Formats: sequence, C-alpha cells, structure tokens
Amino acid sequence: MDSQVVDHLFRHQYGKMIAVLTNIFGLPHLELIEDALQDTFVKATLQWRKKIPENPEAWFIKSAKNRTIDLLRKVKADQVRNDKISHGAASIHLNDLFLDHEIEDSQLRMIFVACHPELAPEEQLAFALKTISGFSLKEISAALLTKEETIKKRLSRARKKVAEKQIRFEFPDKSELSARLAGVLRVIYLIFNEGFHSTKREQLIDRELCGEALRLNQLLLKKEMLRSGSSYALFGLLCFHAARLESKISENDSIIDLEHQDRSLWHFPLIKIGNDSMNKAVTYPDRSKYHLEAAIAAEHLKAKSFQDTNWHAILALYKKLQQQNPSELGRLNMLIVLIQLKKFDLVAGELPLIDESKLNQRAYLLWATWADFHYRTGDKKSALRYMDKALETVNNELERNYLLKKRNDYL
Amino acid sequence: MLIFIGETYADMGLSPEELQERMGKWFAWSNKMEAAGIVKGGEALHDPVRRISGPDRVVTDGPFAESKELVGGYFIVSAKDMDEAEEIAQDFPDYDLGSTVEIREIMVFDQ
Repeated sequence: MDSQVVDHLFRHQYGKMIAVLTNIFGLPHLELIEDALQDTFVKATLQWRKKIPENPEAWFIKSAKNRTIDLLRKVKADQVRNDKISHGAASIHLNDLFLDHEIEDSQLRMIFVACHPELAPEEQLAFALKTISGFSLKEISAALLTKEETIKKRLSRARKKVAEKQIRFEFPDKSELSARLAGVLRVIYLIFNEGFHSTKREQLIDRELCGEALRLNQLLLKKEMLRSGSSYALFGLLCFHAARLESKISENDSIIDLEHQDRSLWHFPLIKIGNDSMNKAVTYPDRSKYHLEAAIAAEHLKAKSFQDTNWHAILALYKKLQQQNPSELGRLNMLIVLIQLKKFDLVAGELPLIDESKLNQRAYLLWATWADFHYRTGDKKSALRYMDKALETVNNELERNYLLKKRNDYL
Repeated sequence: MLIFIGETYADMGLSPEELQERMGKWFAWSNKMEAAGIVKGGEALHDPVRRISGPDRVVTDGPFAESKELVGGYFIVSAKDMDEAEEIAQDFPDYDLGSTVEIREIMVFDQ
C-alpha cells in the first residue's frame, strides 16, 4: 500500500526547517533547534499513521512555525539575549521567512556554514550530512563506513568550532566568495564520490548520497551569485556519473566494469541534463577540474560500445587534467588509458614510477593495473602475482570479488 | 486491545528518513485494518510519563530506567479470540526495532 508521501519528504523537510529556524534563531541555538525538530518529526510520524495531511509540506511548515513561537518563548525564558530575537520578536515577519526562496536561501547559508574552511574536511562532510541532509548518526556512519562514535566526535568538534570561531549564518563576502564556493563544490563532490565509488553492501545509502549531492548542487545553481563555470561543470559531471549508476552493479551485487556495462541502461534524461549544464558551464570564464572530468565522462557516454571509445580524446583530457591538477591517481588513470591504446612501451616505463603510498586505500588499483599490463603483454605468471598483491590490499568486499573474477579470467 | 511497548522513536534517534519509513508502514497497517473494519479505536501516547504510586502517592517523572518498556500506544480491534488478535498483530511494523505487542482482552461485564 502506498503511503502517499513523496520519497525523502521528511529528510528534505528536515533540512529546510533546520535552515529556516537557524536563520531565525542563529547558529548558537542549533542544538536546541535540532531537538525541537526531532520532536516535530516524531509527532508527524505518529499523527500521520491514520491520516496523512492533504498537503504534507504545508503541515511541516505550519508546525515549524509553531515550533518557532515555542522556541522564541523558551529562548527568552532562558534569558538568552540574541539581538535578532529581542529586536525582532514582534517585528520578525515570520511568514516571510517560510517563503520558498527564503527557505532555499537559508539552506544555502547552511551549506556555507557546513563547508566553512575552519572545519576539517571530514567534519564538513559529517556536519553537512547531519544538518543539511538530515541523516542520523547511524546513516552517516553507514554512508562513510566510519564508526558511529567517530562521527559523533566529528559532529561535536564541528559544532564547537562553529561556536568558537563565531561562524556566521551568512553568505561569504564577495572577496572570498569564489574560494568558499570552491570549498562547497568540493564537499558536494566528496558526498557524491562516497556514494558512487564506494561499493558497500548497502547500496541504498550509496544512491541516496549521490542523490543528495545532486540536490545540493541543484540548489546552488538556483542562486544567481553562486552560478559559475565550476558549479555548472560539477553538476554536469554528477549527472553523467549518475546516469551510469544503475548499470554498474549487477543484480547479484557484483561490480560491472565500464567494458561490460549494459549501455542501454544508462539514463538518457540525466545525460541530457548534464549536457545542458556543460553548455552553461562554458559560458562562464572560470575553468575547473570538473570541466575536464565531465568531458572525460562525456567521452565514455558518447561511445556506442566499449570498443568505440575514443581513447585518444580521453588521453588528451587526462593530460590536461594532470597539468591542472596533478595527482598520483590521475597519473595511474592515464596509464590505464595507455594500456587501452596498447602503448605498452610507454606504460612499462611509467608504471614503476607510480608511488603506491600516495594512492592510500586505492593502492590495489595500481597492482590490478600491473596485473592487467602483464596479462595483455602475455606474461600470465606476473599478471597472477600482481593480482594476488591487489587482492591483499583491497579492503572492500565487492571490489575483492571483482578482482577475484578477473583473476579467474587470467587462468 | 493491542498494546505497543518499546523504546520511543525519539530515544532511538531515528532519522527523518527512518521516521518516514515507519510512518508509511503504520499507515499501511492501519489502513489495512480500517478496510477490514476491525479497528474500534486507538491512540498514540506522548513520551513523558508521570507515575504516582504507593500509599504515600509518591510522584516520579520519567524517563525511567526501563525506558525500553514504555507503552507508546494502543489499538482496540475486534477479534473472536486471542489467536485472531495475534494474527492481526503480525503486521505490527516495529518488531524489528525491538518493540513488543501485548494482547489483552477487554473485559465485558454482564448487564
């Protein structure tokens, strides 16, 4: 039986309401606000069991307004003097703050708080997922494959910093806007990658991370001052990746690589939206790594089959990316393309220069690439030896199964 | 009467997403019973508890140590016997959260 409520309504409403209430009461009251909203949502859960309101969103807005009034009383009773509140108790035009564009504005401010450079990257991620996306500790820890206790610590460190550094619930000044926006895009990119590249047992949460990243990016693009080449390019990139989401994991939970994906499963509407976004991206002066990564993803999407892939174009893009944003993983990716192009001499010279320690938990990719190189050049024995090494270093079960399958193919 | 006993959603720290999922399951269950015409009534209860006990009428406010055994609500359903009520209670949505359903027959007095 259908519950008649759109997917993720509660989660999205939660993020909205947190943002609006924070706009009214200020960041110092964040915890109070979160508790108050938790109550509201539990209440909805119980009340809606029998009858769901005709307009669920309006219900939430109404009860958030009531909450605001409760909180105003409470905050006052606690003798907390907040300029905005004592000035405004009578003059706050409460209804105005719950208009759609005001809600979006508040959410965007919250995103800038979450991605504030005073917070460490892992704190930004946890804080964003909790406060903007309404994930619980349990969900965040499942999403980031991190212990609940650790997430709890990150959140409390983040909250402490927000208080101590007196981070304000405002958009950054013009002078620092582009740097701060870059920080926000990086967090969105990270959230997406957590969902897209990790291959945990629980796929549902992966998809939700990807969906959240898309949603947040879309929100940014609604605001004129936040539109830029990089914010459009990132959105394009995420759409291109998301279009392949369905095809990269099989029904029995195993990874399907690009070569073997059923290309008819790729989600065309998302590719279209991604293309539109890229067309907008190039009308702005700024360029970013997202432009290049999106261009690489687009090349893959363009190919009718794996054999049709334009590896030369992809190689050129990787080279540019490497110049702009040198990374060890980028170098490795370039060599993987060179293997496709059968430039084995080049690969033989370059592969030994890759530093495994700089690849962190992705070191297994290096060994798997070595294995592939040897296999394609006819050295089965070495291929197996390197694949065993890759299997020793990989710590994800799905990836391991994928490598095991490859190893079997070598035999 | 089906009495629902367990930890409260608030104490379990369920996320908005999880709450929505719970709501959907309860909605489905209660609609199913409504459709079958077996629900005679029922309410959800607020979390705060105040207990008054003993000859001295000692008053204590929750939460109590045994917060996992809090009555959260009830349904009154019509069933011909315990077994039928048990059958109805199969669809209770929160067993996976460690919650319990207690079935009690409401006493009907002779006129």
